[in-house]
Amino acid sequence: MRCRLDSLSLIVCLHLLSIDGDDDKGERSQIGDTMTVAAGVGYVLIALGPALSLFASVIAKKPFLILTLLSSTLFWLISLIILAGAWRAFLPVKSTELWPYSILILTSVGFQEGIRIGFWRLFKKMEDMLNAFADRVSKPRLFLTDKMQLALAGGLGHGLAHAVFFCLSLLTPAFGPATFYVDKCPSIPFFLISAIIALGFVIIHTFSMVIAFNGYTEGKRKDQIFVPFAHLIAALITLINLVPGGCNIGLPLLCIMAGTTLYYSWQLVWRRLTEHQTTRSSD
Amino acid sequence: MDDRSADSDPVTAGESSILDTLGEDVIRIVSPVSLCMLLVVLLVSSLSSTNDLSSSISSLFLSSTTTPTSFSSLNLLLLGSDSTWEEIKSALVTAFSFVVVVTLLTFLLVLLFYFRCTNFLRIYMGISSLFVLSFLGGFISLLLISHFKIPIDPFTFAILLFNLSVVGVFAVFMPKFPISVNQGYLVAIGVLTAYWFTMLPEWTTWALLIAMSLYDLAAVLLPIGPLRLLVELAMSRNEEIPALVYEARPVDPQPGDRVRVWRERTDVRIEATENSTNSANVQTVQETRLAVSEEITAPLIEAFPQTGDRHLGTEEEEDGIGLGSSGAIKLGLGDFIFYSVLVGRAAMYDYMTVYACYLAIMAGLGVTLLLLAVYRKALPALPVSIMLGVVFYLLTRVLLEVFVVQCSSNLLMF
Repeated sequence: MRCRLDSLSLIVCLHLLSIDGDDDKGERSQIGDTMTVAAGVGYVLIALGPALSLFASVIAKKPFLILTLLSSTLFWLISLIILAGAWRAFLPVKSTELWPYSILILTSVGFQEGIRIGFWRLFKKMEDMLNAFADRVSKPRLFLTDKMQLALAGGLGHGLAHAVFFCLSLLTPAFGPATFYVDKCPSIPFFLISAIIALGFVIIHTFSMVIAFNGYTEGKRKDQIFVPFAHLIAALITLINLVPGGCNIGLPLLCIMAGTTLYYSWQLVWRRLTEHQTTRSSD
Repeated sequence: MDDRSADSDPVTAGESSILDTLGEDVIRIVSPVSLCMLLVVLLVSSLSSTNDLSSSISSLFLSSTTTPTSFSSLNLLLLGSDSTWEEIKSALVTAFSFVVVVTLLTFLLVLLFYFRCTNFLRIYMGISSLFVLSFLGGFISLLLISHFKIPIDPFTFAILLFNLSVVGVFAVFMPKFPISVNQGYLVAIGVLTAYWFTMLPEWTTWALLIAMSLYDLAAVLLPIGPLRLLVELAMSRNEEIPALVYEARPVDPQPGDRVRVWRERTDVRIEATENSTNSANVQTVQETRLAVSEEITAPLIEAFPQTGDRHLGTEEEEDGIGLGSSGAIKLGLGDFIFYSVLVGRAAMYDYMTVYACYLAIMAGLGVTLLLLAVYRKALPALPVSIMLGVVFYLLTRVLLEVFVVQCSSNLLMF
């Protein structure tokens, strides 16, 4: 891979590291090579481990969920491209002040949450089409668990897109023999930080989609407010990383946020399923 | 008690939801395309670290076989400069000549099919698969062996290569071969050809992709287009076109004979989409004339089995969303190859472009299948995906990369 981002010097460094790691000289020890591939694979698994297990256990079994995942990944990518296009004129931000970055974060999160409502409308249309199709082939309509699985697949698509574009695409030098540290965070390697942040956001995106779809379907304000709120807080937590040494605080807070989202979604789904069960048994 | 639990749990109730089987066919065609792209990306990223041996072998190969690549590099040599404008000009010339050659060959193919020389075509297809598997496969295996320093002696290598190529020819050539071996070898041929194409210079690759998608659009939709003539001929005669076609049949065997035959029934959906299949043949000729890569057309069709081993229920007559589970979708190998070429070329830049182009191609494939269900006639599968792929590549390279790197290098994510 050649160095392509000359404007950002640290990426140039990353590429020099990766080019050094390539096996041209031939006398490099085999152990050194495999260790580094192991490190790269380890970072990938940290970021994508839960996502992969969710995929294998829930989504891979039903082909339609795989298609939902792919389309929601595409959707997130398109929203990211639109954001990048809108912000292109102002980048690269050279200052080290907080406010340009906070505006960036606020606009991005606001845009994505607005898009989520549009995504939900599309989802409703798809549900109607599926129900019509089910009626025609005289099969049962979508169960509640089906709808929740669709929401899960949609959320996982978003989370996967986030992990891929923010973490995995920068992970190529991690497969080489060296590692890299950012100035603001000298205690943890850059790849590990981005992997852990990606992990947090995968969980947040996946389960906030479940919460959001349930909230919009039921019309409960509490759920509808929770999702943008959680997303915004999580994104603002990453602003702490701009402060030197801030990542030591920011990372655990982000994980706590992810855990909160997970817990909230768990409670919501549990409540919904038990309500559904009792209503069906009382009919 | 049991009723209550049975109602809430669809699985134990014995009723399966439609979500269980919907979209199966699409996934069965998406998986091999994704696998082919993944293999090409892996090959490109592992072999593109400029190993001296590989670059010397590739330059040797390119100069010894008269290929379009050599034409463009010859062009560059003659013009003596590698300025961007010269590259673009030579790329356009190469792409244009390639499309002209492909058009002529496809017309020749239509002519041969019209005169019922199907045996000749099948033998030719077999020889070209043998060529791809043995020569290209051997070349790429040599690159891999030299890069990863695999200890293997030449005799074992020759025996393995010979065996694998011959089995591959039989797998794609004979009709009753096990379907999973057939599918595997078709993917392998696609990977090898696509990797070979990514060795072209950059502007040439992009020009070629765009030219081929425009050609596909013209050849299938225009009334005089060769692919359209071919499909109409085959349908009128109820014959199968001899071509390299990936058939997304399920691997477990179905009862009864499954003869792949064209059908023209108005009550059942038959969508014939055509793409140029590359039995990409680079003929090493002693003369110095321009070698060509042949193409044999292949359709993207939803073929229905002849016997009634799958009941075509009322769902088949619906104006559904095109995701009915019936028969098998067939996709021409040329689609595999050109999609993988695009993704491979994106891999030479960055992984971010790879993901973006992969998603774009999948979206294009989905759109094509939807259009198929709506229009119910021959549709090309290349243009939508390639155009979306190129657009996304440009957008990612220009817009997205700076944005994402800016954010994540400051550890800001959302």
